[in-house]
This record gives sequence, structure tokens and C-alpha cells, in this order.
Amino acid sequence: MSESSNLHRWRAIKNQIALVLSGAAALFGLFWLTWILWTTLSRGIGAINWALFTQMTPPPNEEGGLLNAFAGSAVMCLMAIAIGAPIGVAAGTYLAEYANFRKIGHTIRFVNDILLSAPSIVLGLFVYTLVVATTGQFSAIAGSIALALIVLPVVVRTTDDMLRLVPSQMREAALSLGVPQWKVTVQILYRGALGGIVTGVLLALARISGETAPLLFTAFSSQYWSLDLTQPMSNVPVVVFQYAASPYESWQQLAWAGAFMLTMFVLVLGICARLILLRNRIANE
Amino acid sequence: MSDLRLAVNAAAPATGEALTNKLVARKLGFRYGDTQALRDVSIDIPERRVTALIGPSGCGKSTLLRVFNRIYAIYPKQVADGEVLLDGENILGPKYPLSRLRSKIGMVFQKPVPFPMSIYENVAYAIRHHEKLTRTQMDERVEEALQQAALWTEVKDKLKRSALGLSGGQQQRLCIARAIALHPEVLLLDEPTSALDPIATGKIEQLVADLKARYTIVIVTHNMQQAARCSDFTAFMYLGELIEHGITEKMFTNPGKQQTEDYITGRFG
Repeated sequence: MSESSNLHRWRAIKNQIALVLSGAAALFGLFWLTWILWTTLSRGIGAINWALFTQMTPPPNEEGGLLNAFAGSAVMCLMAIAIGAPIGVAAGTYLAEYANFRKIGHTIRFVNDILLSAPSIVLGLFVYTLVVATTGQFSAIAGSIALALIVLPVVVRTTDDMLRLVPSQMREAALSLGVPQWKVTVQILYRGALGGIVTGVLLALARISGETAPLLFTAFSSQYWSLDLTQPMSNVPVVVFQYAASPYESWQQLAWAGAFMLTMFVLVLGICARLILLRNRIANE
Repeated sequence: MSDLRLAVNAAAPATGEALTNKLVARKLGFRYGDTQALRDVSIDIPERRVTALIGPSGCGKSTLLRVFNRIYAIYPKQVADGEVLLDGENILGPKYPLSRLRSKIGMVFQKPVPFPMSIYENVAYAIRHHEKLTRTQMDERVEEALQQAALWTEVKDKLKRSALGLSGGQQQRLCIARAIALHPEVLLLDEPTSALDPIATGKIEQLVADLKARYTIVIVTHNMQQAARCSDFTAFMYLGELIEHGITEKMFTNPGKQQTEDYITGRFG
């Protein structure tokens, strides 16, 4: 009797220890995250003003804003999505619907996972040699291609995962009506997986909106308003990178403001993605 | 075989008509990779009758059903050999077009799977692929299918609503409506009531009784009473082989083989 109660007490103690340790680990992670967020918010929010959205990036020690950087980031991110998302959805569809049980499917999935975790600076250098070096010019197109290479594996992965989550009975039910596979995929399976695929695209957008390394070698940056795709183009991450490292107070302020806006953008996208997934789950139940 | 035919015709004097065989399997074998799931199965499925396939889990009854509309073909490494004749034509032949086969042989699965679209669209979806209909014709077809599936009165005021909002039993009747909307000749039902409550099950069984006037029905079931209640013929399968096939009443009262008797009396399986 006393032996078994000792055993139980010892187990309860071990349980408490494990609980405290894992809780502390979670708090440790959260602590840094909160600190980063707090610093960005407290420093950035003070730098937010009307000029930020109406004026161009200024020379040192002058007043200005980030309008050209916001516009450049928007243009390049949207182009990257426009290039990467359709190819990614098509490739993910191939993996889930046509190559799922085949060796080539496993191979492509593996390679895609490597691309997914490839350092973004490598992608930047790759596009540098491919586009910038051959055209002899930093350009927004090169920047968009580099970002598209980041979008691609994210969208391939989510499309593949989401389509494979659609129960196989759905495929069988649709195919058993004599409807060909491509129609079943486009008209039924995409409908079932739509929320997940859109979420994947949003997450890819969040990921590229803050990418700096691939843009440094491709779009570089520009002090001026430019929407010419064959020219260097200003963008938020590179401006933040340059201004934050500068000795000028006004530039540092703008860097904080840029960092704040990026963080908010990613936060809002993250929440949207969550909401879409949640709504989808409710609709499926 | 001719024994069965004689017995069948003797047992179905009510209609007075001789039975023809809609679907005929000859020396049918089936493999999932290295696993032999069906061995040398030969069976005749009479037209406009209900044939029940019974047997313990893994005996190959669902596999047999899945060969009849070649739905297995979407998975690699699943191979059928032998012959399955639909009105005398071998549907396993590479020349037999899948789209035509599946519009003639409809299938309803164990778990109801409505498509993520409106009730109306669920029924209209496949019709649209096979036929060009005007709006009014389509409306009529959809109503007819839902009527036949005994679902019309419950959904007629909410045809535009998502099919995902229906109850399980309603969803399964919607799946039946979806299949019969194509005017198939054969209806394959793979344990259609195993996910449903007794009331919904009763409705589906009633539906099967109504539908056999128009369609040849093959139903896979785990439920012995269900096979006895709603089928004209019963086939007992075990370990991938067809053990016995005959008139349901005889199968359940005086089976020819010991294995069949053991199974239906609950001694194994």
C-alpha cells in the first residue's frame, strides 16, 4: 500500500518537473518574441506619420517617407505571387493528383522541401547570375523572379498537402460519375481545398514581404519613385537594412517605421490566413 | 449456372418475365500489388434485381464492386484480369471508354460524400458533363432524381443551399440522387447504410426496393438482415472467392455450403 502510494507520489513529482520545464521553455521562446515585437512597436509607432506614406525616401538628415519603398515592395511581391502561385498550384496539383503514389512524386516532393528551406541569399545570388549579370542591370524583374522562387515551394507544398487532405472518397465519388480527372480536380477538389491553397499563397506573401537577401542582389534599391520593371526598384526590406545601419537619426527612424509596417503586414496576413482556415474547417464540419 | 437460372426464374414467377443477366463476371481475378484480392470469380448479376454481396471483412466483396465500374483504375498497382461483361461487352477491355462505363454504372459509397457545392449543383454536376440540357430540362432532371431518391420534399425549398448542411441520411440519399440522375443501368451500393442511423437506413432500404424496378442493383452489406430484407439474390464471398450464389431466401434458409451456413448463423466473420 505504502509502496504504491510512494510510486504515485514520485510520478506526480516527475509530472510536475516535466510541466515546469516545458512551461519554462515555452516562456523562454515567447519572451524573445514579445521583446522583438515590443521593440518594433514602441520604436516604430512613434515614427509613423502622414509623410511616411506620401513622401519618397530622403537623403540623409532630411525629412521624408517610404512611399517609393512601399510601392516597390507591393509591385515586386505581387509579381512574385503572379509568377510563383500559378506554377506552384499546378505543380502541387501534379504531385497530389497525378504523381502521388509514384516514385517521381516522392522525388519531386523531396527536392521541393529542399528548395523550401534553401537560404534565400542563395536564391538571390542564383538570380543575380542568371538575370542581373546577363542583362548587366539590377531590375525589379530580377527581384520578382528571386521572390517567386521563394513563393514557389511554399505554394507547391500547401497545394499538395491541402489536395491530399481532400478525402479520396470525394475523388472516387466524382470519378465514378464518369467525369474526367482534370474536371474533377478543377471543379471539385479545388473547391474543397480552396481555403488551404489561398492560405498557402497568403503565407508565401507574408514570407517574401520581409525578404531582404534575395532583393539585395537583384532589385537592389532606389532612392526615387520608379515603377520601371527593368530598373532597380526601392523596397521596404532593403531600405530598412540600409537605413538601420546608417549613422543618421532620420534614416534610423524611417527604418523603425518600415520594420513596424512590415511586422503589421505579416501579422494581418497571418490573421487572415487563420480566419480563412477556421472558416473552412467550420464549413467542412 | 443454368441451375441458378432455372431456380431464379422459378422463384420469380410474379413478374412472369425471364431474367437476363446485366453484368457477368468470368474468371475474374484482382490484385492490389502483391495481394490477390479476388480469385477466379464468376458471377451473373440479373437485370432489375437486387444482388447482395455478403462475407466477412476483407473477403473481396467491395473489391468486386469496385471492378464493376473500374474505379480501382485510379490507383496504380491495382490490376484486374478475366472478363466482366456489361450487356455482353467486356468492360475490362482497354477500348471500353471509362466515361461511358461510369455513366452506365453508378456507384454510391459507404460514407456519404456530397461535393462542396449546392444541393442542386451536386445533382446537376455530372449531367452537365454528359449531356447538353436547357435550364428547364435540367431543372426537371434534378427534380426527377431527387424525387426518385425520396429526398425532394425535404430539400425542394433549399436547393441553392450547400449540400454539406444536410444530415448524414439526407447526404446519402443525395449521393444516390446524384448517381441516378445520369440514368444509369446499374447501381452499385457499397455499404450505403453503415454510417447511418436506423431511420435513415430504413429509408435507404425502402429506396432500394423502389429503385429495382428501373435499375440493376448490387449492394455490399455487412448486415445480414439487410441482405435478407432487400435483396433477391445473395452472393457469399470468402477470402477472395465466390463461395455460393443464389436466391436470397434459399441462401438464408437452406444454404448449399457449410461455410455459408456458418457465416449467416454467426459462427464466424
